[in-house]
Amino acid sequence: MFLPVETGLRPERAPSFHDQFVVLFGAHFHRLYRYMSRVSGDPDLAADVAQDAFAKLYGRGSLPDAPEAWLITVALNLFRNAASTRTRRLRLLTPARGEAVLADPPTSPDAALEAEDTRRRVRQALDKMPERGRNMLLLRGEGYSYRDIAQALDVNETSVGVLLARARRAFREIYGESTDAP
Amino acid sequence: MHLDEERIQRVLHGELPSALERAARAHLAGCVECRRSLAEAEREEREVNSLLAMIDEPVPPVRAEAVALRAELMAAASRTERSAWLRRAAAFVLVAGIAGAAYAIPGSPLREWVHSITEKMAGRPERNAVSQPVTTGVSGISVDAGPRLVILFTGDGLDGQVRVTLSDGSQVQIQAPAGAATFTSSSEYLLIGVKNPAANFDVRVPRSAPWVEIRAGDNRLFLKEGQRISTSGSSSAGDYVLRLTTGITPQKP
Repeated sequence: MFLPVETGLRPERAPSFHDQFVVLFGAHFHRLYRYMSRVSGDPDLAADVAQDAFAKLYGRGSLPDAPEAWLITVALNLFRNAASTRTRRLRLLTPARGEAVLADPPTSPDAALEAEDTRRRVRQALDKMPERGRNMLLLRGEGYSYRDIAQALDVNETSVGVLLARARRAFREIYGESTDAP
Repeated sequence: MHLDEERIQRVLHGELPSALERAARAHLAGCVECRRSLAEAEREEREVNSLLAMIDEPVPPVRAEAVALRAELMAAASRTERSAWLRRAAAFVLVAGIAGAAYAIPGSPLREWVHSITEKMAGRPERNAVSQPVTTGVSGISVDAGPRLVILFTGDGLDGQVRVTLSDGSQVQIQAPAGAATFTSSSEYLLIGVKNPAANFDVRVPRSAPWVEIRAGDNRLFLKEGQRISTSGSSSAGDYVLRLTTGITPQKP
């Protein structure tokens, strides 16, 4: 991952921890953020948690053996702590979050309503899933490897595929029930 | 013998070692049932992923350098008695990071600001305070709105109000009772250190400003994006009244 980019006969300088951190951040911040945003349903909290996880990694001063799994574990712990102790902050009202906005109405009200309804049902289905299945589904959704998923969630790597298939079925079933509901 | 579910999933996700992958592909070539299982798994995954994408929000433009700097400030906070001040500084770096400020860029205002922290820790007088008396009993500051401006109120126990008025001018203007606050600015942020928690502030934001955000600590109170305005405050006769609160409620024992 941290291959030197220069070529030539001179021996390459080993990348510093800071360089490694910057590369890792560039490659993985976005997906850790998206994963946490999907887990929490709170983009601001997800941004805080993802940054805090990377800040902790930087504070560590060296990369762990499996940095991505380490970041997921730390981010999940931070999220659990935040969810249990932190008073929810007042949030900016933005259209994407379906809250009141002093702005022009959407060009197509029906489409906006339908999209909002889908988002609400996806959110509800995720919230109803068992925690492990939800985390597996969302981690794989961000392209994390079976090894990272197994390490981060402390499951046997040899059964990640089966557990993923079950999680996907559970999500579709719960989502389908909300679609069928009157 | 068909491929089991674990193997189907691993083929789907490219998680088989190459020898096993080749064997699985050879089996799939001759087995309609397993091909159907794989196709079904692919279809289900596509469907689920497209649903999950519906709840995504744009990734905030955070820079690695800002997060690294924040980590350093947090580490310094744990080592010093001035931890509360430094934690606020670290929180501000987070905001600055979101606003796109980068410590690493030569000439970055963030870099200069961090140097002011260093000086403060060393006991030297604080610099960069550009508070200017406007009229007797009032202090304030005017800054260019630029393409993007974050106005950040910091201080303990904030309890005042901010009245935001849209103006036809080209500059963001802030007024407060004399001595109520200090002002520090750069091209992308304006830091208001509130010394009198009950002080009220008047903020004039140009209608032409493309992006102006007002925060109290990490609590976003107001955002103007082009002509769109979002606020957690109230609106009256074209003005917006924001309650200055960091949004953090003291925890019950």
